[in-house]
Amino acid sequence: MIFSLDTWQITLFSISVGLASALLILPFGIALAWLFARKQWPLKSVVETIVLLPLVMPPVSTGLILLKIFGRRSPLGQWLYERGIEIVFNWKGVLIAMSVMSFPLLVRSVRTSFAEVNPRLEQIAATLGASPLRIFFVVTVPLAYKGIVAGALLAFSRALGEFGATILLAGNIPGKTQTLSLAIYNYVQLGKDSEAYTMLGITVGLAFLFVWCSEWLLRTREKT
Amino acid sequence: MFLFVRKSFSVAVLFIILLSAQVNAWADEILVSAAASLIDVLQEIGAGYQANPKHAVKFNFGPSSGLARQIEEGAPADIFFSADLAQIDALEKNNLIEPGTRKNLLSNQLVIIVPADSKIAIKSPKDLLKPDVKKIALAEPSSVPVGVYSRKYLADEGLWNQVKLKIVPVQDVRATLASVESGNVEAGFVYKTDAAISRKVKIAYEVPLDKGPKITYPVAIVKESKRKDTTRDFLSYLQSPAAKNAFKKYGFVVLD
Amino acid sequence: MRLCCHIPLASFALDVDVSFDARVTAIFGPSGSGKTTLLDAVAGLRDIARGEIEIGGKTLFSSARKINLSPQRRNIGYVPQEGALFPNLSVRRNILFGAERSAHATSANGIGMEHVLEVLEIAHLLPRPVTKLSGGEAQRVALARAILSRPQLLLLDEPLAALDIGLKEKILPYLARVRDEFAIPMIYVTHNVTEVLTLADWVLVIRGGRLLAQGVPRETLTSGRAVREIPEEQLENVFTVNFIDADKAAGRSRVGLSSGVEIFVPYVAQVDRPTFQVRVGADDILVGTQRPEGISAGNILPGTVRAVDMIDDQALVRVDAGEDFCVRLTAGAVTRLALDVGCPVFLIIKTRSFRLL
Repeated sequence: MIFSLDTWQITLFSISVGLASALLILPFGIALAWLFARKQWPLKSVVETIVLLPLVMPPVSTGLILLKIFGRRSPLGQWLYERGIEIVFNWKGVLIAMSVMSFPLLVRSVRTSFAEVNPRLEQIAATLGASPLRIFFVVTVPLAYKGIVAGALLAFSRALGEFGATILLAGNIPGKTQTLSLAIYNYVQLGKDSEAYTMLGITVGLAFLFVWCSEWLLRTREKT
Repeated sequence: MFLFVRKSFSVAVLFIILLSAQVNAWADEILVSAAASLIDVLQEIGAGYQANPKHAVKFNFGPSSGLARQIEEGAPADIFFSADLAQIDALEKNNLIEPGTRKNLLSNQLVIIVPADSKIAIKSPKDLLKPDVKKIALAEPSSVPVGVYSRKYLADEGLWNQVKLKIVPVQDVRATLASVESGNVEAGFVYKTDAAISRKVKIAYEVPLDKGPKITYPVAIVKESKRKDTTRDFLSYLQSPAAKNAFKKYGFVVLD
Repeated sequence: MRLCCHIPLASFALDVDVSFDARVTAIFGPSGSGKTTLLDAVAGLRDIARGEIEIGGKTLFSSARKINLSPQRRNIGYVPQEGALFPNLSVRRNILFGAERSAHATSANGIGMEHVLEVLEIAHLLPRPVTKLSGGEAQRVALARAILSRPQLLLLDEPLAALDIGLKEKILPYLARVRDEFAIPMIYVTHNVTEVLTLADWVLVIRGGRLLAQGVPRETLTSGRAVREIPEEQLENVFTVNFIDADKAAGRSRVGLSSGVEIFVPYVAQVDRPTFQVRVGADDILVGTQRPEGISAGNILPGTVRAVDMIDDQALVRVDAGEDFCVRLTAGAVTRLALDVGCPVFLIIKTRSFRLL
């Protein structure tokens, strides 16, 4: 195993963008999970399916879709480029690929947690005069927080492991967009096995840690 | 339930029989691992060769470095058609090349391409340093031939250290072409033959043959090949007048 | 208050149209008759297909006029069957959860936290985590929480259902105290007759989503129509009495009914409240056409038969012995004694048949 400066840079880059992606999707994931768990609305099943797609589609397929959406020739890509924002072959592309791929995991986990909160508690809170916002923050979220954190950890691990969508959207540029997964691929292609094994060790270690914590949180949930 | 098991079992057996019949059909088919820049020309040459129903050829295209790696790992290629000497040298050193079958067949020219609708003027490699040029696609410069050639050329021009900051490494020369076509990068390095087949890019600068790297496409029979006779047959076809015409048509330089 | 609603449910439709005005209104009926649905509808937690709900002149819901106040704005306190305390908050924060609303309360009945804690005797529970409360303690905390949100109406959904008998008898007095101390109108859902007779001034009898009968509990529950709804063991008489004196050696205390008639009940030392309640089962009362001699029963009350209801093989006999007593006999007994309206009879009740509340 070789722990070079590059190793640290790649690891740090992967963790920071992974963290940013988890924080980015957290509010949206929680909001959507709540809407799924507590409300009925038209086209709900369609949205549920779309959100779930990145989980079951090959990541490269999702990556291709993202490339078409954010590429310079698309309306959105053009619009962003004029404002100096570049997504393709840029760390922002890594962020988006990670976010999209890990989003369904977060939503599923949080949705289950919300669904497990006894709706009676929320109803009683309403009769006691609490606004929907207060009910959400003082009753629902505190009772579901373990599932929320577990979901965030799972999403973060998934983001760290992201490859297919990342390589299409952000490319494999050392020092700029190369994550742990992309680095492993690169090193194997170049025949640099020792570096590859170092990255392998790091990714396995991190994945193990986060998934273990996530499961522990879910195990220690209380029923309401 | 049991009926279902019986039915699916017989379907599976049928499938396996058909598959093995196919495999037998493939028994005399030779596998050619060739550089990505040869995709179009070799497919045309292969079609010509297979006009004779006794001949069967399958192609495996990719970056020469990746293909060499596959052969090292035991991939069942019969012929290796590389875009530079380094890959064949490496295989020869590991005793994976049939002695005496190696031949330098083609040469090519390096060009800088830009998207067809690009407004940026690139009249020389120095123009790559312009701030307008934000990203340059290049096949992995440490291993893929076209990347290695480009890097050497830019290093010789004293530009590599600055240009390398803008490089987006991609898989092979056709991936480079695709990136430039998409407009997600401002420029890229490909062979003149690649630029010729795409209407979505235009050549901004042709690296002069005397200034640029000496590009050589060697071909050789892989030692482990199980079909040496058929393979030799195809190898000589690649040097036939018909094949040479095809190469020239696509813009390759045929070496004699 | 006016309650009119039509709510389609799984196997029947809840269809109720009543107006009433009582301190405590009980909704009595078997499980699955739609009682909880009704409460949810009043609280605004459930959609009503069509109807009107009005409390104290204020319209909470009107399908005709398209009014539908949110639960937050209805100012109704709800004590559900399972208490539903917030497990992530302390007892104190649970109790004070709705207290902020009281700042805007229109009913300024000056209910203070200390008062509520005192009446329900839960002050010592404040620092405890909610998950460490017993069933009875949790119910009282839920009650305190509802009261302290200064509601204009309290809804209680079978609050004692989840408690065992001994605990039920312990908590019932607290509910009576709440009724007496805080002057908040209550709607009390239950399938237990004792609770209705003890707490309610008015009862609505519901079955299959429909109103069977309504009225003063004592009469309504013993009327022909409603009595079939009452499980065998629950037919009871409940009386409000005042303490007179006690005799520990003899094992009994003497109390007086509101009519002045005195009866003996099991020994209780001294009662600090001016009045309290005692009950006796309708099956535990003997009827005699002559005054018996030499028997153990401590209470022999002369009275007159007011009504005889024959229901299948049973008979409900109403006897006026100063207070209205409901006695259940076999049909055969009524025939044998030739009991009829106006007959003079004696009610024979063991001291120990009376239960104190």
